[in-house]
Amino acid sequence: MGRPEPRVREQHIAMFGESGSGKTVLLSSFYGAAQEQSFTAKRLFHLLADNTRQGNRLLQNYLGMKRTATVPAQNRFAATSYSFAIKLKDQGDAKSARTRPFDGLRLVWHDYPGEWFEEEPDGETESARRVETFRSLLRSDVAVVLVDGQKLVDHAGEEEKYLKSLFWGLRDGILRLEDDLLDDGEPLAEFPRIWIIALSKADLHPDLDVHGFHDLVIEKGADAVGALHEVLERMVQVPDALSLGEDFLLLSSARFTPERIEVTERVGLDLLLPVACLLPLERVVQWAERFDIPRKWLNRLADNADALAAALVGAKALGMVLQKVPRVGPLLEKLALPALAMAVKVSASKIQEINAEARANKDYLTAVMTQFRLDLDQGAEDGLLLKSRR
Amino acid sequence: MRIIWATRGRSWGFRFLPDGGHPDPLPVYDRAFAGTENESTVCRRVGPLLALRFPDPEGRQDQAGRVIPHDVVVEGAPADDMSSFDGGLRLVWPLIADTFERVWELPRPPSSMEAGGA
Repeated sequence: MGRPEPRVREQHIAMFGESGSGKTVLLSSFYGAAQEQSFTAKRLFHLLADNTRQGNRLLQNYLGMKRTATVPAQNRFAATSYSFAIKLKDQGDAKSARTRPFDGLRLVWHDYPGEWFEEEPDGETESARRVETFRSLLRSDVAVVLVDGQKLVDHAGEEEKYLKSLFWGLRDGILRLEDDLLDDGEPLAEFPRIWIIALSKADLHPDLDVHGFHDLVIEKGADAVGALHEVLERMVQVPDALSLGEDFLLLSSARFTPERIEVTERVGLDLLLPVACLLPLERVVQWAERFDIPRKWLNRLADNADALAAALVGAKALGMVLQKVPRVGPLLEKLALPALAMAVKVSASKIQEINAEARANKDYLTAVMTQFRLDLDQGAEDGLLLKSRR
Repeated sequence: MRIIWATRGRSWGFRFLPDGGHPDPLPVYDRAFAGTENESTVCRRVGPLLALRFPDPEGRQDQAGRVIPHDVVVEGAPADDMSSFDGGLRLVWPLIADTFERVWELPRPPSSMEAGGA
């Protein structure tokens, strides 16, 4: 009998940003740094590009920054979806493989030429390519809108001008394509429900923590963020389940000086995997506490929520909660709010305990997921990540 | 000899300037430059097409501080003149230099009228 196919859960992240805002640099740094010996030694997983050619291109970008202070070439007329396998270092024995909820994770990161949202296409092929790209972007689990740190510097004292042009530009770009993006004019079910506002090139703002960044965006750009929110709400089913302007993140791919690009001085990039995997799960619980979510929507609002929750606290612990939930139907058996809430609300000290136990038992999946949760907590403590408090 | 020229301005993004008479220049561009995404200079023949990529000879940069590249596809190029990168550059750059000087600092992408004349 052949070896069974590994069961892989896939999370998608869409990085929105204007041309030159650092999308490709972030992606190259995210992947390149994960190939460094110093990174892999500390982690329980390998980050591997599913497509070797794509992986080598990103690594080439990273090495160009690191060794010759060369920034990656601009994207021209083409978007690319990069698929990364998060492969556990130790797959465990057959028994542990059978009992864990899944075997590995995949992160799909969508990159595109920044001007595509701002300018009209040249010809039919580019036009069709853009629509296809934005349809993929708008089916991701998490969206990140990049606020360009350099442009904030350039607009010091009148940041509202830049923030307005950024958020209104994104709004107008989506509106322009609205008919092509919707299915038969119907609001979308699968849609990024969390839109994180992230400061790229955060190294240019050493005195700004995520709280200061939040205050700046809200003070100078709340109306523009609100205008984008309004358009997104129109495009999506269950529009209450949509967070924009609630989560903030600081990102820096490296420290840039005219002579050097110091790639070891990265900020926030290690939070992207935990954010893509855990934030949707946490958020669906928060939403359910605020309003009634039709049961059939639970799984659609947060892809893989059941499996990720089981990996976070262990399938056994989750199963014990599920036993206490009245059985209503097969869906509820798989995914029940009390179980999700339990997984999300486990205290930091308990998570630490589960993490230590999972490492000792070589249950790498739970060890990785609990580490993600600890990383998110640390990111918040370090002033890099601000999660919605609603 | 017809050319398709893709470039960007300081603040506007990549687009085709004179489109070589193609209403949809991207498929021809793709054929000529496929697989060269990370190359800063290119000079190669693909069937009847010549693909030439070079950084702006005057070192002009986009808003993010990256030197602006010029991607040119030449159809029906005289073989001798285009057999080397330098030969290609000598032939092509004079055809587009004035247009680029005129449009690269515009705040928005140039209209076909503004981009005409190459």
